[in-house]
Amino acid sequence: MKRWLRLLAAAAALALAPTAAHAHLVDTRLGDFYSGALHPLTDLQQVLPWMALAVLAAFQGAQRARWIILVFPLALAVGGVASLYVPLPAFAPFLGLALVAVTGLAVAAAARLPLGVLLAIAVVMGLLHGAQNGAAMVATTDRVLFLSGMTAIGYGVITLATGSAIAFLHGAAWRPIALRAGGSWVAAVGIMVLGLNLVRPVAG
Amino acid sequence: MKRLVPNTTALMAFLFAAIPLAPAFAHTGTGVSLGLLSGFMHPLSGADHLVAMVAVGLWGAQLGNPAIWVLPVTFPLVMAVGGLLGVLGVPLPAVEPVIAVSGIALGLMVALSARPPLWVAAVMVGVFAIFHGYAHGRELPEAADAVAYAVGFVGATGLLHLSGILIGVLVGWEAGARVVRACGAAIGCVGVYFLLAAVGVIE
Repeated sequence: MKRWLRLLAAAAALALAPTAAHAHLVDTRLGDFYSGALHPLTDLQQVLPWMALAVLAAFQGAQRARWIILVFPLALAVGGVASLYVPLPAFAPFLGLALVAVTGLAVAAAARLPLGVLLAIAVVMGLLHGAQNGAAMVATTDRVLFLSGMTAIGYGVITLATGSAIAFLHGAAWRPIALRAGGSWVAAVGIMVLGLNLVRPVAG
Repeated sequence: MKRLVPNTTALMAFLFAAIPLAPAFAHTGTGVSLGLLSGFMHPLSGADHLVAMVAVGLWGAQLGNPAIWVLPVTFPLVMAVGGLLGVLGVPLPAVEPVIAVSGIALGLMVALSARPPLWVAAVMVGVFAIFHGYAHGRELPEAADAVAYAVGFVGATGLLHLSGILIGVLVGWEAGARVVRACGAAIGCVGVYFLLAAVGVIE
């Protein structure tokens, strides 16, 4: 019971924290490390697929899930550094929303993926989000601090979410169903906003 | 005195979960919270949507395995198809009357505790899901933050199903099964009211 509540509390804190974080980064005065750490959390468009990726990894079993904890933050960092040299491609918003839909669908289906496919999704998502967050830096931003903060939060969130999902999956039969239902919510959001993006491009 | 504090972990968990809630609603002007809130309230503010979604959960609980777990996973996806039609501006006829009819039909199924083959139930719920999704999706382009709005209304719809399923757990007892059927009848009545309103009989 206690373990349960702790899990629930962690999940609630994770789920609710992003809504509280929509500060204007220019005025945070928390330093560029924290600006970088906060930036991915200010928008659901990145947190949502992170959660889906973590649950998707959990469905592959702990043995395989471990890899994304290493690969995803590295890809984030590389994407962030790349944003200093290469401009964001025009298809970035489309790709971001497609990732929401794809990861959500894979979770809804509880798909068993080859490790390569799972890691490929993690790498593409990390590179894209790293570049998108990196593009938010202004001339006065300390780049090392900002990118370290972003990578640290990516590592923290993906590790906690994957660990919680793996722990949650042990036990009653309804638990995987609950996670799959959550995946179908994410997929539904991705599909609809992707449609909106085709009609009228969405910022970000 | 110690007995009055039943479980410190529970208390901590509650406090922990409650802390970020307050600031989340403080800045209503920003996109994410505004979109999330308006999306979340959209299925809840129309009683016709609300009762139909609860009816879906009740019926799922009555039908039992496998409907009870097929439903929460597939419904949002079918609803997304309807939402997509709404976003793209594809004209769909008689949306409001069909949503009212969905309340009547689903309420009736629950009241009768009807057990059609799974595919019949799936097609029926699926058609209504498209219309419900369409009604929500039409508002998506005007939302303050499209992703947050979509998260809000998909989440609210899913939670309505969940409440229906949880009420539906009562079917395990004989008296509870009657309560569930009575809920179905009440939902049908709400549907009738909204149908009459949609076609203009009631102002």
